[in-house]
Amino acid sequence: MAWTGLLIGVIFGIILQRGRVCFNSAFRDILLFKDNYLWKLGFLAVGLQAITVLFVAQMGWIRIAPPTLNFFSNIVGAYIFGLGMVLAGGCASGVTYRAGEGMTTAMFGAVFYGLGALAMRSGIFSGIRTWAAGFNITVAGNSPVYFDKVGPTLATIFNINPWIPAVIVAVLLLWYTLGTKTTDRPTKFNWKVAAIALAILSPIAWITSVAAGRNYGLGITGGWISIFDTFISNQPLRWDGYEIIGIIIGALIASLLAKEFKLRMPKNPKTYLQVMVGGIMMGAGANLAGGCNIGHFLTGLPTLAISSIVASIFLILGNWTMAYILYRK
Amino acid sequence: MAKYDVTKSIDVRGEVCPVPDVETKRALKKMKAGEILEVWIDYAMSKERIPEAVKNLGHEVLEIEETGTSEWKIYIKVK
Repeated sequence: MAWTGLLIGVIFGIILQRGRVCFNSAFRDILLFKDNYLWKLGFLAVGLQAITVLFVAQMGWIRIAPPTLNFFSNIVGAYIFGLGMVLAGGCASGVTYRAGEGMTTAMFGAVFYGLGALAMRSGIFSGIRTWAAGFNITVAGNSPVYFDKVGPTLATIFNINPWIPAVIVAVLLLWYTLGTKTTDRPTKFNWKVAAIALAILSPIAWITSVAAGRNYGLGITGGWISIFDTFISNQPLRWDGYEIIGIIIGALIASLLAKEFKLRMPKNPKTYLQVMVGGIMMGAGANLAGGCNIGHFLTGLPTLAISSIVASIFLILGNWTMAYILYRK
Repeated sequence: MAKYDVTKSIDVRGEVCPVPDVETKRALKKMKAGEILEVWIDYAMSKERIPEAVKNLGHEVLEIEETGTSEWKIYIKVK
């Protein structure tokens, strides 16, 4: 069933390309340009998914697996990831879908992202990860919607029904995103449409991924590792590996149809060095943190996992730090 | 041949996000009122985002001219 990842990935890639869904821009623009367009897209998608993902879990189609809490890994990994994404010129999903649009710097960023993640999982950086695993915090799931052992969430901490914090968070985010002023941007596939599309795709991704034996929703990091495991060690491609290939194909199709595909190259070769360093930092950081901007922000936050809340805060802070250093003036 | 009396031209094709946006802002800061900046881009998102950002800064977007496949020139009049 791993091939279903390909279908999900293609749709995900089309949404990312048409919606211009780049979390690196989302986090940075609100700081540098006072532009909240993509920022709101992200938070609306999170708010809606708090409901849609919990709904499919309530129906018994999946059991939610909120990521493990580890203050060291979540904070340090996410912060390094955040610094790296500015250097790489895109987040984990950003460099992946832009590779499909013909951005050559994104292709380098994405491949080095996978290498960095691989190095942290089982390569030269893996000692840090193994050492930090001693600080992992998991608890017993307090509801049938959860796995038996999960990373703590708002619901497990207060030992309440997961619907209570989910509804509160969803209402707050909907009120914020829909009730306040949004930066204009002339695009046919606007931020609300993109957020709704993501909130519908996300639970379907969970269902098909769980059916393939992978207990999580949309993600990028594990997928790039899977591609390398297949390419280098001849292992079968996993659901998220198919998803990555799908994203690239989806973005390629969408950009070709919109006449936006082009092999793009910067004039200064130094940019390639910058994106490769950024890619390694992002990959290593994401694997240490247990997720990237998709695994922790887009998919993890809606589960209200404390780890994803912590990681999201620090990947945004990392992004702001590097964006401030490079682009404030 | 030139459509506008361009004072300064920047070519930010192929640059990573957000270099085109930042270079546009940096160029505008150094220019005087009435002068015209030409920004050469090749990324669709820049075509949507730069004109909005420029308008928010109070400048006037004269035209977004398509110059090739996924290539545009944005003409901005400094206010």
